[in-house]
Amino acid sequence: MNASEAQTRMLEIQRIMERATLFTLLPGVPAIVGGLMVLAGCGVSYAMLRSLDFGDLLYVSAAQQVWFCVMWLAIGAAGVVLEVAYTGWAAARQHLQPDNRAIRVAAFSLTPCVAVAVVLTAKFLLPINAQVWQMFWTWNFNVPLMPKAEEIQYIVPIWMMLYGTGVYTAGLFSIRPPRVLGLTFLAAGILALLCFPQYGVVAAALSFGLLHLVFGLYIVHKQRQMVI
Amino acid sequence: MNDPIKPEDFDAVIHERVRLSIVAALAVSPQLSFAELKSMLGLTDGNLSAHARTLDEAGYIVIEKTFRGRKPYTEMRLTAKGRRAFERYLATLRQIVDRGA
Repeated sequence: MNASEAQTRMLEIQRIMERATLFTLLPGVPAIVGGLMVLAGCGVSYAMLRSLDFGDLLYVSAAQQVWFCVMWLAIGAAGVVLEVAYTGWAAARQHLQPDNRAIRVAAFSLTPCVAVAVVLTAKFLLPINAQVWQMFWTWNFNVPLMPKAEEIQYIVPIWMMLYGTGVYTAGLFSIRPPRVLGLTFLAAGILALLCFPQYGVVAAALSFGLLHLVFGLYIVHKQRQMVI
Repeated sequence: MNDPIKPEDFDAVIHERVRLSIVAALAVSPQLSFAELKSMLGLTDGNLSAHARTLDEAGYIVIEKTFRGRKPYTEMRLTAKGRRAFERYLATLRQIVDRGA
């Protein structure tokens, strides 16, 4: 075997290991913590809204609306920070580069979906239209923004579907568990959107809460069985 | 001067391309099911079975056969012996590349 053949073989090995690596980098612990945070968030939301419908956000006080948004923003941010930190730590433990191809594939698969979900959330919470740009143009902020309850109801199913799509795509280059998680989110999101949009608190608790918890426990269990 | 690397310096069990792929995948995964390995490496049932058996006989992997419901379920994982063989193989490849550079 000459140097060029050896180099080719090493590249082949590297590609296979990168595909399989996604499994060991799967964020089991952050999924458990994130799931618990979402369950707690759903509990607080229910106490705040006194309803299982996120659309009822329109009928609580302005201060509560702000707290509600800040809480969910904090949960989302904490989830992202946890996941990034864990992936970096897991990669370092395996002597992998933090910009490993497998990690980049996962990040590039998830980011566009999450970005679309963020834009749609902003659009539904603050009905952004020509009037809003007019406010900035004229510097007159006394124009009331009128969000609609039925649009706010769409936020959870949309997050479920887009997050599911991102996770499924990231898992395409790896093994089955993330693909199953992604498809489950997608199917649950479709069901929630078409049949139960008024039960957003339940949908969020079952998907981002319970599903993440089960997935995280499964991954942690599998990773503990690893032969070192 | 460095000794030349001879064909017998390569571990014949994992020098074969498919077996090397199986070992490489298992080196970074806790364990993989038969179906996962098959889809990850693009192999047929027969091909994967035959090569996995060779690796099992060499003591490089462990094949665990169970049932999930009524369906048979096969999982494979790398043994410490298999991991050492894989690391030796990678070191030999690195040596060849370094000498050729």
